[in-house]
Amino acid sequence: MLIRKNRNPQNNELSFNGHISVSNASLWYEDFQALKNISIEIPENQITAFIGPSGCGKSTFLKCLNRMNDLVDNCRVEGSFKIGDVDIYGKIDVNELRKNVGMVFQKPNPFPMSVYDNIAYGPRTFGITKRQELDEIVESSLRQAAMWDDLKDRLFESALGLSGGQQQRLCIARALAVKPKIILMDEPTSALDPISTGKIEELCEELKKDTTIVIVTHNMQQASRISDKTGFFLLGELVEYDNTDNIFTSPNDERTERYITGRFG
Amino acid sequence: MTATKIKEKAGKALFASSAIICIVAVLAIFVFLIIKSAPAFQKIGVFDFIFGDKWSPNREDTYNSDMSGKYGIFTMIIGTVSATIGALLIGGTLGYFTSIFLVFYCPKGLKKPLNTVINLLAGIPSVVYGFFGIAFLLPTLSNIAPNNGSGLLATSIILGIMILPTVVSLSKTSLEAVPSTYYQGSLATGADHTKTVFRVMVPSASSGIMASLVLGIGRALGETMAVVMVAGNAPTYPYSLFNSFRVMTANIVMEMGYAGELQEGALVATGVVLLVFVLLVNLLFNLISNKMVRSAVSSKSNFKWFNSIRQKINDKVTQISYKINSSKIGEIGAKASGLLVSGVLILIVGFIFIKGMPTLVTTPHLLIGKFEFGSEKITILPALVCTLFAVILSLLFAVPIGVATAIFLNEYTSKSNFIVKMIRGAIDILAGVPSIVYGLFGMITFVKLFGGSSSIIAGSLTISIMLLPTIVRSTEESLKSVPMSLREASLALGAGKMRTIFKVVLPSSLPGILSAIILSIGRVVSESAPLLYTMGSVIKAVPTNIFDSGATLAVALYKLSGEGWYINEAYATAVVLIILVLGLNLIAETVGNKLRTGLKGENNVNKKKSKSTE
Ligand SMILES: Nc1ncnc2c1ncn2[C@@H]1O[C@H](COP(=O)(O)OP(=O)(O)OP(=O)(O)O)[C@@H](O)[C@H]1O
Ligand SMILES: [Mg+2]
Repeated sequence: MLIRKNRNPQNNELSFNGHISVSNASLWYEDFQALKNISIEIPENQITAFIGPSGCGKSTFLKCLNRMNDLVDNCRVEGSFKIGDVDIYGKIDVNELRKNVGMVFQKPNPFPMSVYDNIAYGPRTFGITKRQELDEIVESSLRQAAMWDDLKDRLFESALGLSGGQQQRLCIARALAVKPKIILMDEPTSALDPISTGKIEELCEELKKDTTIVIVTHNMQQASRISDKTGFFLLGELVEYDNTDNIFTSPNDERTERYITGRFG
Repeated sequence: MTATKIKEKAGKALFASSAIICIVAVLAIFVFLIIKSAPAFQKIGVFDFIFGDKWSPNREDTYNSDMSGKYGIFTMIIGTVSATIGALLIGGTLGYFTSIFLVFYCPKGLKKPLNTVINLLAGIPSVVYGFFGIAFLLPTLSNIAPNNGSGLLATSIILGIMILPTVVSLSKTSLEAVPSTYYQGSLATGADHTKTVFRVMVPSASSGIMASLVLGIGRALGETMAVVMVAGNAPTYPYSLFNSFRVMTANIVMEMGYAGELQEGALVATGVVLLVFVLLVNLLFNLISNKMVRSAVSSKSNFKWFNSIRQKINDKVTQISYKINSSKIGEIGAKASGLLVSGVLILIVGFIFIKGMPTLVTTPHLLIGKFEFGSEKITILPALVCTLFAVILSLLFAVPIGVATAIFLNEYTSKSNFIVKMIRGAIDILAGVPSIVYGLFGMITFVKLFGGSSSIIAGSLTISIMLLPTIVRSTEESLKSVPMSLREASLALGAGKMRTIFKVVLPSSLPGILSAIILSIGRVVSESAPLLYTMGSVIKAVPTNIFDSGATLAVALYKLSGEGWYINEAYATAVVLIILVLGLNLIAETVGNKLRTGLKGENNVNKKKSKSTE
C-alpha cells in the first residue's frame, strides 16, 4: 500500500464532544445476538433514558459506548459508533475514550481508599500529582456532585464508610473528576432509597448543563421525570426512540405502549 | 436402653475422645517443653539465656553441679530473625509479584502449568532444598564469597524459595477475591490495565497479602534442615552475607543427639523460645486476617498529629509512585517473577535429575542391594523400607483420630460450643508448631517410652501428631461439602446418626479424605527434622520390626549429603525422593480435581434443570 494511515493511537487531540451517533450496530456474545441493528442519535447536553424489560440489551448497548464490552471474551461488535467525529472502534486510545465517557454503575463501587483518593484517582492516572491542583479538582468535583458540604470534613476517611447514596454520588464525583463530556449511568439508583434517588436525579439535572447523560432505568417515573429523550429496547432491538413526552403520552409502537402501561415486562 | 441407643452413645463417645486427644496433644507438648526447660531456665537465668551471646555448652554440666559452659542464644535469635527477614525480602517480593502475575498477567494457557509448578515447589522436601543448596548454590556463591558460600545470603535464598508457595497461594486467593466492580470502575475513569492492577486491585487485597507474608514468616522461622545445610552453623552473629551463623532450629538439631543434662535442657529451652516466636507470628496472622474480614472499617487513630503525619507520608508516597510510574515497574516485576519462578523449579529439579539419574541407572545396587556393614556400596533399600513403615504406622494413628475428630466437630457440635473452640484452637496451634519442636517432644516422650533409643514406632508416633491438623481440616472441609439434604434423607428413613455417618456422609466425602491421606503420605516422606532423633539417622540394614531404628529416605539424604564421600549416591537419593513426593502431590491434585469437577458436574445438571423449567 502506498498511502499510509497515521497509525499512532496516541493521536491525543481527539475531538470528542457530547454527541453520540450510532448506526446499524449489532453485537454478539458468542453466537447470541444481544443487539440488533441499532441506530440512534444522542444529542449533546441532554439526558437520554433507556428503558425496557430485563435482558433486552440496555446495559450491553451502554457498555458499547465506552467499550467496556472489550472486557468480555467472545464479544463481537458491528456497525458504526461515533462520538463527535471520532470513530470509537477505530484506532483510538481506549483509555482516552473512557476518560471522555465516564460511567456510573448499578451498585456503587467506590475503591477501598479515602474519599479524597477516590476522586483524585482519575486525575492522577492522567499525570496530575501536584497537591494543590488535586485539591481543587477534588473540591470542584464534590461540589458538582453536591456533597462538598457533607464530606469536606471526611475527605480522608474510607469511602466504604459512607452510606449507599453517598457512595453512589461519590462515584459520580469520581467520574466527573476527569471532566468527561458524557456520563453513562446503568441503573444508578436501583440500589438506593427514595431520598438518595431524588438527590441523584437533581444532580443529573444540574450536570446536563455541560454533560451528556445516558441513563438506563427500570423506573418509568424516573425516566419520565428527568429525561429529555427516551429509547425503548426490546429483545435487542431499539423499538422506539423519541422525545420523552411523546414516548409516555403517545407512543407510536404498540409494544412501547404495552410496556409503559405495565402490561408486559 | 436398646442396642442401637448404646451404639449411638458409644459412637459419640469415641468421636469425642478422638477430639480430646488433639487438646491433650497440645497440652502435652507445652507441659513437656516447660517441665524440661524450666530447670535450665532457672539454672542459666532467663535473661542470660536469651540475651547472652556466648554459646559453648559443656556436656558435663548438670542441674546440680556448677556450670562451666556458656548458654546464651542471642546470636541465634538474631540469626533466626535475620534469616527470616532475608527470606521475606527474597521470597516475599518474588511471591508478591508472582501472585500478581498469576492473577492479572498470566496468559490463559500458562496459568495452570504455573500453578502446578508452584504447588510442586511447595511439595519438595526441605532436605532436597538443603541438598540443592550444598550441591549448587554454595559452590556458585563461593565464586563471589570470601568463604565456601555458606551464610546469610545462601540461607535467605533457599528459605525464600521455600516460603514462596505459601506467599503465592494466599496472596493469589485474596487478589482473586477483590470484586471485579473495582476493576471496571477504574477502567471507566480511563485507567489502563496495569494502573488499575497496581493502584486499585493490589491495594484492595493488601491485608490478604500481608497475611500471606506473615504466614511465610512463620514458615521461615520454623524451617530446620534446609537452613542447617547452608548456614554454616557456627554460633555467631550473621555480621555479613557470607559468614557461618546459626539459627535456633539448627541449634536444636546440631546438638540434640549428644547433649548432656543441662545442655539438653537448654536446647529444649531454645525450642520454647522458638515456639514463642511462632505463636506470636500466628497471633499476628489472626489479627490481620480478622482485619481482613472487617476491612471495610477505616483505620482511624485518635491522635490528630499521627493522622496528619501519616497522611503526609501517604501523600508523598502516592505522589512519587505516580511520578516514577511505579505501576509500569510493577508490571515488569510481575512478568519477570512469573518467569523466574518457573526457572527456579526447572533448575532445582533439572540439576538434581541430571546429576542423579546416571547413578540411579548404572548402580542398581543403590536401590535393591543388600546392606553390607563397612562396605563402600551404599544402598537405600533399608531407607525405603523405613519410609514405608513410617508412612503406614503414622497413618494408622493419625487417620482414625483425625477423621473421628473431624466427624465430631462437624456432625455432633455447634460452632459456638466452648469445647469446639478449644479443639479448633488446639488444631490451629498444632498446625503452627515447627517440626523440630515435634522432634523435641517426640524425643522426650515417645523415645523415652520405648526404651530410650530411637525406633520406628517412636518416630511414627511423633510424626502422626504432626499430621493431625491437615487430616482434621481437610476431612472437615469435605464433610461440610456433603449436602445437608442427604443427611436428612437418611435420618428421615429412620437411620440412626451412626448409620447416617457411616453409610451416607463418609462415603460422599471419601475423595476429600483420600486426598488428605495422600498429602499426608507426602509429608511423612519429606519430613526429616522430627525424625532424626526419634526414628533414627543411621543408614543400616533393613529393619525387621517397629522397635528397630532406621533412617527414612529424607533423613538418609541429609546424612549422605553431609558426609561428602557419597555425593553421587546423594544425588540419586534426591532423585528418588523428588519422584516420590512430586508423584504423590500430582496424585493428590488429580484426586482433588476429580472431586471438584465432580461437584461442578452436579451444578451443571442443576443449572440445566432450572433452565428447562423456566
Ligand atoms: N457477558 C455476557 N456473555 C453472554 N451473554 C451476555 C453477557 N452479558 C449479557 N448477556 C446477555 O445479553 C442479553 C442482554 O443483557 P443486558 O445485560 O444488556 O440486559 P439489560 O437490558 O441490561 O437487562 P437488565 O435490565 O436485567 O440489566 C441478555 O440476554 C444477557 O443474558
Ligand atoms: Mg442491565
